[in-house]
Amino acid sequence: MKYLAASMVLLSGFTCARAGLADEVSPEIRSAALRVAVTTCATCHGPQGNSISPKFPRLAGQSAAYITAQMKNFKNHARGDADAVGYMWGMAAPVDDDLIVGLADYYSKQKPAAGEKSSDAAAIGRGKAIYTEGIAAGGVPPCASCHGASAAGTADFPRLAGQTTQYLVKQLRAFHTNLRDVAVMHGVTSGLSAENINDVAAYLASLGP
Amino acid sequence: MNGRIYNWTFTAALFALASIGWAPTANAVPSFARQTGMACEACHTIYPELNHFGRVFKANGYTLDNLKGVRDITGEKQEMLALTGLPPISLMVQVSGTWLSKQIPDSTGIDGRAQNGTIAFPQQISLFYAGKIAPNVGGFIQLTYGNDSGTFGIDNTDLRYANAVVLPNEQSLIYGISLNNNPTVQDLWNSTPAFGFPYAGSNANVSPLAGTQIDGALGQDVAGVSVYAFWKEALYAELGVYRSAKQGASNPVTGAAGPLDGSISNVVKGSAPYFRLAYEHQWGRNSLEAGVYGANFKLLPGANADPTVPVVPAGVTNEFKDFAQDFQYQYIGEQHLFSLAGTRIHEKMNLDASSFTGEVANATNDLTTWRIWGTYYYKRKIGGTIGAFSTAGSMDAGLYGAGAAPGVVTSANGQPDTKGWIAELNYVPWLNTKLSLQYTAYTKFNGGKDDYDGFGRNASDNNTIYALVWFTY
Repeated sequence: MKYLAASMVLLSGFTCARAGLADEVSPEIRSAALRVAVTTCATCHGPQGNSISPKFPRLAGQSAAYITAQMKNFKNHARGDADAVGYMWGMAAPVDDDLIVGLADYYSKQKPAAGEKSSDAAAIGRGKAIYTEGIAAGGVPPCASCHGASAAGTADFPRLAGQTTQYLVKQLRAFHTNLRDVAVMHGVTSGLSAENINDVAAYLASLGP
Repeated sequence: MNGRIYNWTFTAALFALASIGWAPTANAVPSFARQTGMACEACHTIYPELNHFGRVFKANGYTLDNLKGVRDITGEKQEMLALTGLPPISLMVQVSGTWLSKQIPDSTGIDGRAQNGTIAFPQQISLFYAGKIAPNVGGFIQLTYGNDSGTFGIDNTDLRYANAVVLPNEQSLIYGISLNNNPTVQDLWNSTPAFGFPYAGSNANVSPLAGTQIDGALGQDVAGVSVYAFWKEALYAELGVYRSAKQGASNPVTGAAGPLDGSISNVVKGSAPYFRLAYEHQWGRNSLEAGVYGANFKLLPGANADPTVPVVPAGVTNEFKDFAQDFQYQYIGEQHLFSLAGTRIHEKMNLDASSFTGEVANATNDLTTWRIWGTYYYKRKIGGTIGAFSTAGSMDAGLYGAGAAPGVVTSANGQPDTKGWIAELNYVPWLNTKLSLQYTAYTKFNGGKDDYDGFGRNASDNNTIYALVWFTY
């Protein structure tokens, strides 16, 4: 528990960012963010952030603080998973701080679409157990303790509900290998097998808005 | 570069299966990667085939960038200048080997003097400026050195103004203007001629007699302007016109670069209209596009040097009405890439000018070309394409004539039919390097399977093995 608490402080340091509260986003920035979201981001992340291809993460309803932190991590190259390097380092580079706040605000307010329901009910069941109870033997805490009971996330911890299976699996693997360097997530995923990762992803992807 | 590339034995050792036709040029350039900061796979499956994001990048005028640049604004914050900090320049090098199933008869009349096959070093080197020019303006400009011409010259060029707006229901509308020098070079899909498969091919093989005008015949000989709109990144519509704009031509009276007069053959009379309509649907990892395109070219024949040939009255032309359909399907997975594409072009010829001179047998002819190809890649490393092609149409012994010995490029029966299949194997060690082995097989060539030219050459004699090393950087 001490480890978990310390990790949460560390994680807060990584992910906590000055979030744009609704009344802090000016109409000019809101308008500029809408334009960029519709004409650029949507090409991959889909209309209103509900991506069509499972390769690109859904952004609809995502935590504004988390989006802000990730955009900054793309800009300063702190986030180094493969698709971050190949796609988002370039995309985020010209985005200034005001626009980041505006985009984060925009996507946080979008209505997430239903996720992809796997036909493997057993995998979903196993994934739910891991998410809500963790794996005591493997030292894996319940994901719900940070990401929320319904995986809707909090101000600092990202929404996972309805995210694409492919993206979730890729990120969990990236945390596991430290390709994406986040200490607490590395600790969490160290105890997850490949099957565990697939099961958790199947469960999370099946969750509706 | 690896010193082994210079060893032609190494290059020759690559051969397996080969290719045909013109040596088409690339649309994929690291200039864009430098400008956007994004790796090739963001916009391409394997270069030069575009994915959806790449199509939108092109539709937006090649202006997406991540570079600190030189900017200037007015007092009302309107952009007056947007120069990229680094010029988006890149280079492409193609080194190749071509082997025909049966050697071409020696032009001196005595066989056994010719080299076996052709090593092209280089076949082509191209310099690209591809990227942002000004706010909302971008370009794809290619200058090419080819071993056939031995000189540098202007190649595919597409200059654009584009803007994207948000419609009331948060849908996007991209609209723009393209100035370009090759019909379909501006198109967003790889199913149309300018950037269709094969993306690279031999220039040391035997080209078929017949082809439609819109199928590359006018590249770099025309200049066009078109307006387009791309709604919801799904429905695409474009209208444009083309005029002749030839390179290296001069007016005989003044010695100036224009106007093109009767001393030049095949000048477009007035302006040739061009249209394009396409719809793309995306679902999961898939996209499917279907569309139509076409153009109408009226070509003034120009003066005939032969004084015995009747003079064509002023304004009489040979008219080529091209109407085509195309489709492109793509599946983009993490490990597997698959695409299937094709096009069918039908050309109706009204050969008033050539009928007047007696150079053709028929006042009207039809010609239809179709191509279909499927491509697969595993982990963006190894893959290939298999395709089939066909050109067939009206018999016309004047248009598709028999000729003097040694034949090869002529038709004994006056038919344009050329058909076959093509297979290509690719290895992509790095995203900007492609090693290819291509094989093209003809079941018919210039109207015949056996002895198509009347001098004993068979269609299969033109079967081609083509090995290519293609760098872009």
